[in-house]
Parts: sequence; C-alpha cells; structure tokens
Amino acid sequence: MPPHQTQSGELRWELQFGKILFSPKNIQRPSTRNESLPTPSNSPTQPREWHSHPEADAAAETVEDEADFLEEEIVGDAEAFLEVVVIVGDEEDSQEEVDEVSTISLSYSREISRLQSSLSTRTRVADRSIRGQGDSRGGRGGRGAPRGGGGRGGGAKGGAKTIVEPHRHAGIFVARGKEDMLVTKNLSPGVSVYGEKRISVENSSGADDTVSKTEYRVWNPFRSKLAAGVLGGLDEIFIKPGAKVLYLGAASGTSVSHVADIVGPTGTVFAVEFSHRSGRDLINMATHRTNVIPIIEDARHPLKYRMLVSMVDVIFADVAQPDQARIVGLNAHLFLKVGGGVVVSIKANCIDSTAAPEAVFAREVTKLREERIKPLEQLTLEPFERDHAMVVGRYVRSTT
Amino acid sequence: MAAVDYLLHESAVGYAIFQVVHQADTIGNRLKEVQDAGQDLAKFGKMVKVVGFAPYRTAAEALENVNLVSEGVMSDYLRSELELNLPKPSKKKKIVLGVSDKTLAGSIKASFPGIECETGDTSEVCGDLLRGLRFHAGKLLVKLQEGDVDRAQLGLGHAYSRAKVKFSVQKNDNHIIQAIATLDHLDKAVNTFSMRVREWYGWHFPELVRIVSDNHTYAKLALAIGDKQTLTQDSLHDIAALVNDDGDVAQAVIDAARVSMGQAISDADMENVSAFANRVVKLAEYRKSLYQYLVDKMAIVAPNLATLIGEVVAARLISHAGSLTNLSKYPASTVQILGAEKALFRALKTKGNTPKYGLIYHSSFIGRAGAKNKGRISRFLANKCSIASRIDNFSEEPNTKFGEALRKQVEERLDFYATGTAPTKNEDAMRSAMDAVLGDIQIDDIPMTDAAPQSEKKEKKSKDKKDKDSKKDKKRRHSEVNGDEEAVEKKKKKKSKKESSSD
Repeated sequence: MPPHQTQSGELRWELQFGKILFSPKNIQRPSTRNESLPTPSNSPTQPREWHSHPEADAAAETVEDEADFLEEEIVGDAEAFLEVVVIVGDEEDSQEEVDEVSTISLSYSREISRLQSSLSTRTRVADRSIRGQGDSRGGRGGRGAPRGGGGRGGGAKGGAKTIVEPHRHAGIFVARGKEDMLVTKNLSPGVSVYGEKRISVENSSGADDTVSKTEYRVWNPFRSKLAAGVLGGLDEIFIKPGAKVLYLGAASGTSVSHVADIVGPTGTVFAVEFSHRSGRDLINMATHRTNVIPIIEDARHPLKYRMLVSMVDVIFADVAQPDQARIVGLNAHLFLKVGGGVVVSIKANCIDSTAAPEAVFAREVTKLREERIKPLEQLTLEPFERDHAMVVGRYVRSTT
Repeated sequence: MAAVDYLLHESAVGYAIFQVVHQADTIGNRLKEVQDAGQDLAKFGKMVKVVGFAPYRTAAEALENVNLVSEGVMSDYLRSELELNLPKPSKKKKIVLGVSDKTLAGSIKASFPGIECETGDTSEVCGDLLRGLRFHAGKLLVKLQEGDVDRAQLGLGHAYSRAKVKFSVQKNDNHIIQAIATLDHLDKAVNTFSMRVREWYGWHFPELVRIVSDNHTYAKLALAIGDKQTLTQDSLHDIAALVNDDGDVAQAVIDAARVSMGQAISDADMENVSAFANRVVKLAEYRKSLYQYLVDKMAIVAPNLATLIGEVVAARLISHAGSLTNLSKYPASTVQILGAEKALFRALKTKGNTPKYGLIYHSSFIGRAGAKNKGRISRFLANKCSIASRIDNFSEEPNTKFGEALRKQVEERLDFYATGTAPTKNEDAMRSAMDAVLGDIQIDDIPMTDAAPQSEKKEKKSKDKKDKDSKKDKKRRHSEVNGDEEAVEKKKKKKSKKESSSD
C-alpha cells in the first residue's frame, strides 16, 4: 500500500513528501508550499538546514562565508575525507583547531570531488541529470566541478535498490532509493528523450513466473516546470491517464514526453510550438510516441491549427509571452471542454520585468478570470525556478 | 443577428456540413444548463443534422486542404462540397453558414453571393455550436469509426509540421546567422592556436616573435623557415615575399636566425611543429574566405544595412534579431540597444539610466563621436539602421543607393557635432537616393519616353516587370502588396524627416 493512503491527510503527506525528496537525510526543511515558504534562497543561513551530520555542520559553518556553492553531499565528502586531510594538511602539528581544518578540508574536498569525478564519471553524469540546472539559483553558484558529490554512489543508479510507488497524481510515480525522484512510466522503453536516467523495475505478475519489465524515466523538476509544480504540491493537475492535453509552448518536447508518459496510450498530447528549430526536435520526439501530435504553429492563432486538434480536457501553457493569458483564453474558447483544466506557468520577468512578481501574478490571474477561467490555486516554483508561478484553473464557460 | 442555418466543420478527416435543426437561444446562452446541453451528445445530436461529409481521399489532398484552411483560402474541394450540400439561396432569404475562421468566411462569401457567414467572433451561439461539433463530430459522422479522427490528426499533424519546418521563409538569413557565429568562433580559435605556434616554435627560434608580431605572418614564416639552420642569404626573397616584400624585415629574420639562442630541433619535432603551423595558416585562410562569403551574402540579403554600418555589425544585428524580417519589425529604439538587454533590464529594474548602445557600438561611427555625442549619434544611427533594414527586407531589387545616402547622412551628422556644419536636409537626401534608384531601374529596364523619375506609377510598373523575370524565390507576399511597398517607403521618408527634425 502506498504511503499516502496510510497518512491521515493527502496534503500533509504531500508536504512531507516534498521534504523527503529534496533533503535526502530527512532533515527539517520548510515545505515548498506557497503559504509557508520563507524564500530559502534568500536567507544566508538556510543551507545549514540541509546538513545532517553535526561535524559536517561545524565544517560548513566556517566554510559558508567564503564559498556558497556548498551542498550537503560535498560536506558529506569533506567529512569522509577529514582524516585524510588532517594527515596531509598538517603532519607536524595535529592539534589544529577544528574549524581551521575544515577550511582546509574544503579546498581538498574540491580536489577530491574532482578526483572522484574522474573515477565515477558515469555516476556523476547521472546525478547531474537529476539535479539539473540548479546552479543558476542562490546557494548553488560557482563552477561545475564541486556539484553532485560523486562519493554518494549515485542515489539510485543501475543495480541500486529502488522502489517505485505511485504518486498522488495518477500516472506519476516516485522512485525511492537513496534519493527520491519523480518518475513517469516510459512509453517507449529503452529510449531516453533528452539523456535523462531510466529506471527499470521487474515485476513478477502473480502465480505464473512471467517477469515483465517496466521502465520509468526520471523527471527533473529543474528542467520541467510541471514537475516542479507537482513537487510543489499542486492539488490538481488535470493531466492523468487517458486525458487529452493541449500543450502550448512545447519547445523541444522534453516535458511533453513526460506528459505523454502520464496520459499513456489512451490519451493524446497536442504539442504546439512556434520555433522551427526546437520544432525539429519535437517532431523527432513525437515519432517515437504516437500519442503526441506535433503542431508547428503560433499559439496566438489557434484557428490555424483547428483541424488538427479535438476537444481537450486540459490546456497546459508555458509560453512565456506578455499576452499569455490571452493566448490561453483563445485556445480555451476553441478547444477546451466545459469544466476542463487550465495549468499555466507564469514567468514574471517575461510579462513585466519592472513590477514585483507577486503583482504580476495577481494581474495574470485577473486576466485569466476575464477569460472565464476560474483560478483554483497558485503556487510559486521557488526552489526550482526564480519568480515563476503555476496557476491552475478550471474553464467555466457558463457565467451563472 | 441572423440565426445560423448551416455549420461548416473542418477536421483532419474531411469537411462536414451540418444543418441546424433546432435554433439555439441567444439570451440564455451562458446559462449553465445550456452549456451542459452542448456537452451532452443526446441533446446536441438533436440540434444539428449532418447534410454532407466530404472525407479527404488521400493524405496529400488532406495536407493541401489543411494548409489552405489554415491560410483562410477555400479549396476547390470545399467549394464543390458547399455547392453540393447547401440549398440554392432565394433572393429574399440568404443562407447563414457558421464558419470558424473569418478569413475563410470572407473567401466563401466572395464566391457564394447568396451566403452570409457567421463566426465565433460575431456570434457566440455560432461559437458554441462549432464547439459542440468539435466535441461530438466523431460520433455524429456515423461513417467514421472509433479512432479515425485521432489517427488522421496524428498523421496530418506530422505532415503539416514537417512541411512547416521544411519551408522556411528566411533561408538566406539562417546562413548569415551561422556564418557570423562561425566567424566569431574562428577568430577565437585562430588566436589561441597562433599563440600556441609562437610558444612552440619560439623554443627553436625565439627572436622571430620580436621581429614579426602579426600572428598569421608568424605562422606562415614558421612554416617557411622550418629549421633555422637552413636559412641562408639565398632565401631572402622567399622570406620577403611573406612579409609584404619588406626587405629590412626579411634581412632581420635572416640575421636573427644566424645568432639565435634557440634550441636545436630534431626533424621529427620540426615536422610536428610545421604540421601544426600549417593547420593554423589554413584556418586563417579559411577565416578569410568565410568572411568574404559573409560579405557576398550580405550584399544580396541586406545591401543597404551592410553599406550603412558594415557587414559584420549588420550580420550581428540580423543574427540577434533572428532574421532580417524580425529586425525590420523592430522600432529604432530597440535596434539601438540590441545586444545590451542585460544592462537595459537592470536599468529598468533599478530605475537607473538605460544603456545608450548595444551591438551598433561596434560600428565605427560611435567611436568617432565625442563622449557627449555618443548617445545622440547612436540614436541617429539606430534610426538609419532601422530604415535600411526595412528597405532591404521589403525591396525586391537589392541595391545600395539608400545605404550610401544614409551613411552619408550619418557622416554629416558627425560632422555637424564636430564642426557645426549644417547637414543636408533629410528630404533632399532621400529624394536624391530615390532618384538614383529610379534612374538605375530605367537605364537597365525599359527605355522610357518620359525621363521624369518622379511618377510613382512607372516605378511600380518597372518593378513589376522585374519581378516577373527574376527573383522567383522572393516571398510571394511581397509581390502581392507591391502597391503597399511604395506607401511604406513614403512613410519611411516621412518618418526619417521627423527624426531629423527632432534630432
């Protein structure tokens, strides 16, 4: 039985889940829910909450000031190699103070992680693909080398023990290993779309000894805003097995491939993208997934592709245009079923770079209301994206 | 508002025409019950009736029709279908057909005089009915089997998108964008490699660096000299040929080789140094030919813009905008700070001073202006660039007349800032450029009895003629709006007039 059913409330579990997923050692960490979010990237002391080992914490405290790229794994490494460092660093005087040692250990930990990177390149590459482009955000800056911390043996790499459980949202799964990851069931087994990691699970089905293999693909919240929204704890995403999805702003089809995994062979994804360059990759991806219909056309003119789209259950929009509420409205009036869902990712900078993000989000929500989309919830994607919000709404065509 | 009698439904499988049996109520349209009824097949099925369904017969036909529908053009297939299934309209009562797209509605009305069209924009009832059709079409069209529509959508979606990607309007622009990017990378690579050659060959002949400082010449010399021991007075001419026939430099090289403190080098080592030097020389030569290619390409795609600010900066502008068409759509203020987005947005956020220039800083004009006038000349230059890019994008015959005129204007403006000499009035400058263009056309096109180049009509005629015999690859759109083009140019004139007065 999946854990979320044993919990008293779904929401509660979701909070805990977010915590489990991105702090592998079960440390208290503020949930990523909107209301209780104390903007972790802004507070300088926040990274401490990521560390578990007291020694490592001590090391980290002195170190944080001079290097902010520190992560929990690295601290773990530094700790693991602490003895080595002491021997190497001060053979004559071993009575050095702890914090001095730890500053040295940092410089060594860089070396060490570089060494390890050469030893276990495969693992590190895999690791990076999960953690994704986290480096542009606060607390994770700096060079590429120290990231990932190769010594961890790579959360759930091949051969390691992982258990895949269904997520609260149908069609999405959680792989629990050393590190928990969001995964979707691969529709075309054996193929990675954008170099993401795959997890294969053998399930013996009942009495007969037939062993069927199911393959899952890791869904990186740093690359996909929908995944970030799911991790943030959206109550409803409308995208579920069998659903018809109109995906505006499909780009190269990385996120689209996961949405296609979720809706499964009985659902359909209409992926609209304007750029020819990324449209090329989208078409290539769609050739492997028959439930994706690529449409290279401007989402501002939905009438141009009206022959290719049927009525859909949900519109997902990630177009990052100043008039995106209007674009969503136009498409909803033509293609969205009454009572269908709307999931919009809003990048505040793309709409108004001078106004405060909160004001921009509020304005966009009002605009959506005018398009007869009733907003249900709003969520910032804070740990994953800066100044982004995810707005979920329901299309209510009747006005009474 | 007339009630909708018939509905046209375009789908991936074909055209379907429905008759509206039960007229929907306009007043209660937004009631929840009414909206729910639209979702219910049993209720909606009673409101409409299929009168005709024309499936596409082949995939090619489907693609062709979909392309036409998307452009709002009525295909012959649709015309015959409409003729077949709509009753002949009487004089008293016109038939009202509900169509999704207003451009398609326009073309239908044009060829069927007795038909009025309603769209989702003009009538909400019509929009709701069309939504209902989209929802239920798969079931209402009884000939179709389950999954037919989905399969057709999939196939057609791929075909349509593939065709879109394949057909690109800005074919030439892409090459320019790639060429300028390659050029940047080459510059960087040639530089680092040259440094490496100097470093490597320097062990053998350290004095050469001080005599020849130019990277390319150095690499060529290293290749020609090889082992410095082999250098004698006889090779003076060969060396001189490599250093622009400068006898002194060549003599200095030979003298230095004689007393060099460099280490001796084995043949095997020398071979490797030479091989590398050879690569560097080749790379530098390739860079030159690529640059020439870019210059040639710019002369075809954006001659005026290239004449105004130089090929490289012009290419960079196009590359930054994505295409010449995009660049020509930008206002001059955007062109001015193109490439300085980061500074601009930071300034907007902090309410500081916005940047004065972006990519156009690299044109020689801004460097020549005094510190106080840099911003002014940048604004002026951006105005001219914007005009030049528009002329390039919308004219059919590439020529540099306007570019030259614009360049001269910028020069005069610079002069004005420096010495106070009054520049030519914008109106005069543009008129003389226009006359020059028209004069050119007359000379090599058709002998005209009237020499006065002012009449716009003649220009149009001559342009049309040119259009026919050449430039097939130009966008069709442009030849269609040929008349507009002059208006555009006129407007430009007006605009630039305003700008110069405001300056």
